[in-house]
Amino acid sequence: MSAPSVLIVDASAENREVLRTVLGRRGLTVFEAEAAEQGLELAREHHPDVIVLDVEEKQHAHSAAGQQFADEADASGCQLIVLGKIRRGPVFTGGHVISKPYHFAPLIHTIEQLAAKAA
Amino acid sequence: MATLFVLQGRDKGKRFDLRGPAQTLGRESGIPLQVSDSEVSRRHAEIHKDDQGYVLVDLGSSNGTFVNAEQITERRLTNGDRLQIGRTLFLFTDADERSDAPSVKAVDIVGAADVEASRIVKSASQDDGSRLFSASDHADSPWLAAARNNLQLMYRTALAVSHTLDIDQLLARILDMIFDWVEADRGCIMLVDHETDALTPAASRIRKGINADQRLTISRTILDYVTERQEGVLTSNAGDDERWRSESVISQGVREAICVPMQGRYGIVGAIYIDTYTPAGKVLPTRPVNKFTEEHLKLMVAIGHQAALAVEDTSYYSAMLQAERLATMGQTIATLSHHIKNILQGIRGGSYLIEEGLKDNDNDVVRRGWRIVEKNQERISHLVMDMLTFSKDREPELVASNLNETIGDVVELMKTRAAEAQVEIAWQPRGDLPQFHFDPDLLHRAILNVVTNAIDACEKRDAARVDIAVDWSADHRFVQIVVADNGAGIDPDDIQRIFSVFESKKGSRGTGLGLPVSQKIMREHGGDIRVESTPGAGSRFYLELPAQAGATGVSPVPTEADNVAPPNNAPTCHSE
Repeated sequence: MSAPSVLIVDASAENREVLRTVLGRRGLTVFEAEAAEQGLELAREHHPDVIVLDVEEKQHAHSAAGQQFADEADASGCQLIVLGKIRRGPVFTGGHVISKPYHFAPLIHTIEQLAAKAA
Repeated sequence: MATLFVLQGRDKGKRFDLRGPAQTLGRESGIPLQVSDSEVSRRHAEIHKDDQGYVLVDLGSSNGTFVNAEQITERRLTNGDRLQIGRTLFLFTDADERSDAPSVKAVDIVGAADVEASRIVKSASQDDGSRLFSASDHADSPWLAAARNNLQLMYRTALAVSHTLDIDQLLARILDMIFDWVEADRGCIMLVDHETDALTPAASRIRKGINADQRLTISRTILDYVTERQEGVLTSNAGDDERWRSESVISQGVREAICVPMQGRYGIVGAIYIDTYTPAGKVLPTRPVNKFTEEHLKLMVAIGHQAALAVEDTSYYSAMLQAERLATMGQTIATLSHHIKNILQGIRGGSYLIEEGLKDNDNDVVRRGWRIVEKNQERISHLVMDMLTFSKDREPELVASNLNETIGDVVELMKTRAAEAQVEIAWQPRGDLPQFHFDPDLLHRAILNVVTNAIDACEKRDAARVDIAVDWSADHRFVQIVVADNGAGIDPDDIQRIFSVFESKKGSRGTGLGLPVSQKIMREHGGDIRVESTPGAGSRFYLELPAQAGATGVSPVPTEADNVAPPNNAPTCHSE
């Protein structure tokens, strides 16, 4: 059985580094992308168990990319965690939303739980 | 005092008082009328004062000087003229200096006394003012002459009050007009205080020769009558009335007075009061000649209405400016909060990594966490310094300094950042530079911001490179620090905005303060910053600094060459 996997889509290299380091140490396979478009490609290619999408204000919040991530999560049955503000509605109906600035410990705990459930 | 009021442009809402015989208008730092407008020449135009007023002269500017939409080389300015240079539009206003001493301190509103109402000999409603120019049965020449004068006065009033957005200037101008027209000794304009609804003295004038120490006393009964009935009143000479002699008004030497409401669009905004006055110690003539007539009263009512509309306009304009300021403040707070939030997130991430590393005695993870924390400490430090620099005007502390050393410090500071971004910084100090007068701390910040931007602009590009050079020769008035990168370049549509505060194309990494701060610092030094950019090929920033006289000696060149390249194990090209 392969290790649970997580895709991190975040413009901040520092945030990606923290999540990659900690989740990697806990046995998860980590994919990472700086931009939404690149993240979607990785999601379609690797079908991760969890997608962590950082919503940078004025960027993917209500954009087509946000919609595509939501659709991708629905289609592949993966769990989506959105970091930041996103309006629940036609674009984003399910998933987990964590406001920023967030603490890493509970976020990592949530990712691990969701990944374990999916696996 | 004459003023230039900025109606449009980056300095919108700013007022420049015109002091002295000549003042230069432009974007050069240190000149009296400095504007933040990249389309304005350094020394764009000059305003001279002479006996007749003010004259605007274009100083051979690149984009021209316009008065009321007409390009000029020289033009005498009149009240209400609109001056345009670059994207900045000014309103010119000029309130004549008067020898009459205006003072609001010398005004008292005394208590009610019913007896005073009996001295109102004639009242005029708002409609009376509008009937001023109606046809007369006496179509003889004196009537026509008077009507023409009245018409002229109303025209002048309308013109004068429509050309200022400054409430103090407006009120002073109204009193000037009234004193030019009627032989009043003292006058006062009271405005309704929005908090207390009480009439409060806002401007006053005393005719030259009248004792300015004597306080101006206004009957509250008359004011109440005027504001409640919304009618103007004329009070006659009270010298023949025994009852009047005991009243405060007459004891203050008031012979006759006119008081009219300032009727605005939605209500009374104030009142105008004028009187004739016999100073203490002077004997009232047995049968004094009345100076105020019914005609004066009607015209005062009309002037009061006109003035009220103008007061309302200035109030609305102030409110609009205030609203814009609040909106800007809100946007500023939101933008800064966003940056601080990102920095806080970074610190939390770094701290979490340190915690994780400590748990397992993994020094590598601790080090990585600490590096993230340090980076974010730097970010918040830069943000705070940029905010401080941007938020206040500051006179640079000019000292003879070594430009090689200042640039070298920046390069040293950015070495790690450049290596991480896989960008080569090339800088070779010049051995022939004299010392220049500048503020080393401020210039360091200005250069640092531009170099940081240059590194960010070419990060992750092939053969990413930032070149720093100094362009100077002994016969040049300016020394230039040139920072060139081979990054993505700036879109022509964006190039005007890069020096505007909070305009950033760097996403969460950019605060939008760096370049505006650099520009501010260079302008405070009497220099400037400009940019040339080719999309896809890179940008070249020029930080121009006056090569100030008094430079002594040749700057020592740092002993170690400051050519900084990425470490050997980090390629200068980054492939994605």
